Amino acid sequence: MSLPPHRVDYSPIIERPPIKWPNGERVALWIAPNVEHYEYMPEQYGPRDPWPRTPYPDVQQYSYRDYGNRVGFWRMLEVLDQYKIRACVSLNLAVLEHFPEIRDAMVERDWDFMSHGIYNTRYLYAYTEEEEREFYRDNVETLKRQTGKQLKGMLGPAISGTIRTPDLMAEAGLIYHTDWMHDDQPVPINVETGKLVSVPYSIELNDSPLFRVNYEADYFAEICKRQFDQLYKEGAESGRVMCIALHPFLIGQPHRIKYLDEILSYIMSHDGIWQTTADDIADYYIENYYDQAVEHAQQFKV
Amino acid sequence: MPAERREGMDHEHHEWSPISTRGKLSWPDNAKVALCVIITLEHTEWEAPEGSFSADQAGGLGLRPFPDYPRFSHREYGHRVGIFRVLDTLEHLNIKATVAMDTQTAEGYPYLVKHCQDRGCEIIAHGVSGTQMISGKMSIEEEVDFIRASLDAMKEATGLAPRGWFGTDYGESERTPGLLRQAGIDYLCDWVNDEQPYPMTGGLVALPTMLEMDDLFAMSNRRVEIERYCQSLKDGFDVMFRDGGNNGRLMTINLHPWLVGQPFRIGYLEEALAHIMGHDGVWAASGSEIIDWFRSNPPA
Repeated sequence: MSLPPHRVDYSPIIERPPIKWPNGERVALWIAPNVEHYEYMPEQYGPRDPWPRTPYPDVQQYSYRDYGNRVGFWRMLEVLDQYKIRACVSLNLAVLEHFPEIRDAMVERDWDFMSHGIYNTRYLYAYTEEEEREFYRDNVETLKRQTGKQLKGMLGPAISGTIRTPDLMAEAGLIYHTDWMHDDQPVPINVETGKLVSVPYSIELNDSPLFRVNYEADYFAEICKRQFDQLYKEGAESGRVMCIALHPFLIGQPHRIKYLDEILSYIMSHDGIWQTTADDIADYYIENYYDQAVEHAQQFKV
Repeated sequence: MPAERREGMDHEHHEWSPISTRGKLSWPDNAKVALCVIITLEHTEWEAPEGSFSADQAGGLGLRPFPDYPRFSHREYGHRVGIFRVLDTLEHLNIKATVAMDTQTAEGYPYLVKHCQDRGCEIIAHGVSGTQMISGKMSIEEEVDFIRASLDAMKEATGLAPRGWFGTDYGESERTPGLLRQAGIDYLCDWVNDEQPYPMTGGLVALPTMLEMDDLFAMSNRRVEIERYCQSLKDGFDVMFRDGGNNGRLMTINLHPWLVGQPFRIGYLEEALAHIMGHDGVWAASGSEIIDWFRSNPPA
């Protein structure tokens, strides 16, 4: 079986040829801050209401998220800098246009950027094929103009998409998609043209689903450490990917920040970590493992 | 209107200002943290008027059909019992309270108005009731009347025009900050986006509250336990105290007496506030004192 709509061939992880990271590291660790902007007065387009709590505007929820750009991002940055983390931002590209100080801080650090759409209040669900094609053109052009970088991947805006999304991403020259929560390693995604892979993101090691309900940051630290321990053990045989997803408006809160420090202090004290970005993981995987993975999966087709 | 892609905010209520680029905000006696404790005293109506809107989370047993005795009376607990516990706790620690009071409380509980005033609390405006919020559904006429009626009633009940406004359920339309300014309001607590006061368009000053430190958001919406909430207040303070050494911070804690004033919770609140007040370099002040200081001593 493969996931509908047959985008991903089934491949049990215990049967796969081992993956070796560039210097024999066990775990490719990428840190993904979601640097976002939610519109004050969005236009609902499609099935999801950006601000379901109240009629627009929802000043409480809008300003809660804006806290991330005004205050939380900068506090998060201090901790990432302390551990010399080169992050791979999940970026609402309009942030580059609205908030140049944030753009400059990210560019100065040579971070990588994957698209997270233009705004976190504009979802893909209802886009026509042409609208979505134009969306990628805008994404690629905006990143290039604002940072000089070539766009390689996407976590859909607020993790939204259409049935056509992987094909249109590949057509636009993107090489990875992180909306797939199905594996601990990169995996080829079947597309009409070009090559596209999934790079494991996380909606488990992710401050957003945790802190919207009754988990707190001590628990977040505990599960990140346990996740790391397990992947580090398994990574001795075949390389694993670990992603920690952050939102500055949540992790940058004063009562949470010390737990990010605790997580990174623990993980970064280990040898055998490839602290990298989804861009580099995708490049390396496509260069070294993509063809082999496609061929290997044939035996499981039914 | 969807956002236009250009530098700055996608609304006109305040400027874009990352904290990393600001001048230094200094508090009186070089305090590192200004502490503002807001007590929200709001009346839950049996039945909100037709056409009104509320984003209120029910808490407890959730929303139930009319007549909802447990919900109504659970909230009433704050006015009858909880408020006195919370005020005692603050007074014991020399923390001046800022009370956000709606007009149905001010008019229906004159005892509480006098009690809060006698104990030195600043009373600020909080709309009409806990069950009616300002929202984008209101017409401009309705909103102007709502604000005017609220401020007139507060002046009548307290003898003073309230200087601060904290909307029920943080409710605003696109017009609200401007209409509040026209109605004479000096500072606004609805925007939860900062750790310092900041100027808003037209002369208002934002006194940003901290949503994560709001007991209702933490314990009723997110369902965090009181012990964890207490720990978050302490952990949050510690980091703001550290960061306040470089640039002064404002820690606001918004409390609902029906919730944090329950007997099993109050001790945790006392523990957290005692931790905060146990530090040299904390200025516990009312909203007006903080805003007056900010206006006279802007970041430099």
